[in-house]
Amino acid sequence: MVTTNRRALVMNAAGLAGAVALGFPRPALAQGEPLRVGWLAAMTGPSSAPTVGFNRGVVFAAEAINGAGGVKGRKIEIVTRDSQGDPTKAVNAVQEMISQAKVHAIWGPTNSGEALATTPIMARAKMPNIHPCVIDSLIDPAKYPNAFRIAPSNTQWDDAVRSYCLKVLKVKRVAVIGDTTGYGVTAAKASAAAFKQDGAEVVYLGNIDSTQPDMTPDLLRARNAGAEVIVVWSVSTGMDARLFNTRARMGWDVPFVGHPSMASGEIGGLLEKPANWDKVYAVGYRSCSYDESGKLNARSEEFVARLKGKVALSDTLLWWVAAGYDAVTLIAKAVEETGSSAPDAIVKHWNGLTKYPGIFGDYTYTPKEHNGYPTEDVVMSAANSGRDGSFRLAPGYS
Amino acid sequence: MLASILASGLAVGAIYALIGITYNTMFSTSRVMSFTAGQLGMLGGVLGSLFTLRLGLPWPLGLLLTLACGALVGIVTEFVAVRPVLKSLDQHLYVLSTLALALMIQQVTAITWSTEPQPFPRLLGGFGETVLDEKFWLPVAACLLVVLGLELLYRRTLLGHAFLAVAEDNFAARALGLPERRLRVMSYALAGGIGALAGYAGGELLLAFFANGPHLNFYGFIPVALGGLGNNRGALIGGLVLGLFQQTANFVVGGIFASVAVFTLFIVVLLAAPQGLLGSAQARRV
Repeated sequence: MVTTNRRALVMNAAGLAGAVALGFPRPALAQGEPLRVGWLAAMTGPSSAPTVGFNRGVVFAAEAINGAGGVKGRKIEIVTRDSQGDPTKAVNAVQEMISQAKVHAIWGPTNSGEALATTPIMARAKMPNIHPCVIDSLIDPAKYPNAFRIAPSNTQWDDAVRSYCLKVLKVKRVAVIGDTTGYGVTAAKASAAAFKQDGAEVVYLGNIDSTQPDMTPDLLRARNAGAEVIVVWSVSTGMDARLFNTRARMGWDVPFVGHPSMASGEIGGLLEKPANWDKVYAVGYRSCSYDESGKLNARSEEFVARLKGKVALSDTLLWWVAAGYDAVTLIAKAVEETGSSAPDAIVKHWNGLTKYPGIFGDYTYTPKEHNGYPTEDVVMSAANSGRDGSFRLAPGYS
Repeated sequence: MLASILASGLAVGAIYALIGITYNTMFSTSRVMSFTAGQLGMLGGVLGSLFTLRLGLPWPLGLLLTLACGALVGIVTEFVAVRPVLKSLDQHLYVLSTLALALMIQQVTAITWSTEPQPFPRLLGGFGETVLDEKFWLPVAACLLVVLGLELLYRRTLLGHAFLAVAEDNFAARALGLPERRLRVMSYALAGGIGALAGYAGGELLLAFFANGPHLNFYGFIPVALGGLGNNRGALIGGLVLGLFQQTANFVVGGIFASVAVFTLFIVVLLAAPQGLLGSAQARRV
């Protein structure tokens, strides 16, 4: 029978208090504890395609790091929650990940609608968060000092599109078309304003209901106004395909430049003729674009070689896989470099990154700038050149 | 421009008219506005693409299977969303039950089919890629066939007379020994087939897209309101006028303003003739 007398109890308590006061190393709780990465993923539901791609990169990165011994001996544990693209479910998942699953950092969500709801919650909990959502207001180091963007913002997309139109295509008269969603209206308006600021003439600005079966009225108006390029801001592949088919039927060879959805593989099946997809240039990324000889840059080539046989690229985009991989690696690197998985340590480490060489891009963050993706790496791709998730650089780039 | 307005306007208008007729057919035997009508149109496009393009069946067989599936969904609607709430029609619970079923149909389609628009096959070929292309005249032809078929059914057949009797006064029809429930199920099956035909005939215009349902629900309801509830000829005229007006508005004012123009017309007509252009005012005992 074990007995404890009062004297022994007092001595033990005093010893423990002394040890704490003297700053003895804490028991190795964090050492063996896995590094838990929350993954807020819209794995099912209407906007699941990017997430499926991101997830392949996430799983590949976690397996690669764990296979090499983990992060300072700690295994990475991916805590995935399916938000189905629904902001309400995303909010619940974030709260559960923070309070129950006790994750150390969160990657995601992957669409702006969810991020608008979850970013303030993560800010309140000081949870290190990295996401690929494009809406500009999601990144604000003063309001959300823990939120970092791994992909370009809407403004960076817009800058790249405008730069291609004005400097490479050298056009002056521009038509800007968006769909009638909140995103389409806002993006088209902002794009038109920026074109005007840069001295271009916006001859037509319109919003089209993406389910409108016939696009002839809008393209006729743009042609009659003298448009030399059509800039499109819409996530609707159906609307994109209808625009391309209508352009062909009108016998007009005006180029389309704009949103990445114009390069979606789904469009191929909706075209009346494959040639209707020519002269369409969608937002792409230098790291995931191949040159005339069919080569990606060296880092991406090496990454694709590592993926071969393990991760399918034929039905997804390389940048999704690469960004998912980079997100997990950025979290792991922060813990490895600082030796801590405390939120402020991770955030401080990210704030000091300069041209960190990821697969998707070279990320630079400062305490005042959490848009880490380099604008010069946002380029235009030939929309109809998709091959294993990457695209050919649009004409005009060296 | 005029040719384009006529071709597109009539084609889209015919699809709206068919959805309007779907509403009417379900309404006639149950006094219920079933908001699954638009989803039946959506399913027509999706199933047509599934059978003909993805499974490679010949298009006539694909069409038959699509109509059969539409009829089945119509019957399920009657059993699941209509029959349980018939006893409390005055509480309008059918709005909730049919909307809930419509939402379920849409979600299941999104999960099992695709969330992106999918191609719909070419069926007969056309007379060139112009306004005479099949995608423009097929919906019009389908609409005319349905209207003629329903006229024949209602006027020349015993079954049609039974439908009319139930539509006129279901208590009296039941007292006369007519199988009111079975007739109601049959009318829902018929409506399901008509809705699916709308989506199939308009598949090349609307594509096989899970989100077409709500769009068709809204725009298919307008011909019913314009033409008068339960009046198929009214729905036909209302649908075609709506399609032409919408396409004209697209040309003249474009995008967001075109939708505003359509709903303005709708409200103006209802203010001028609340019972619809071809509907008749009903006397009510007070």
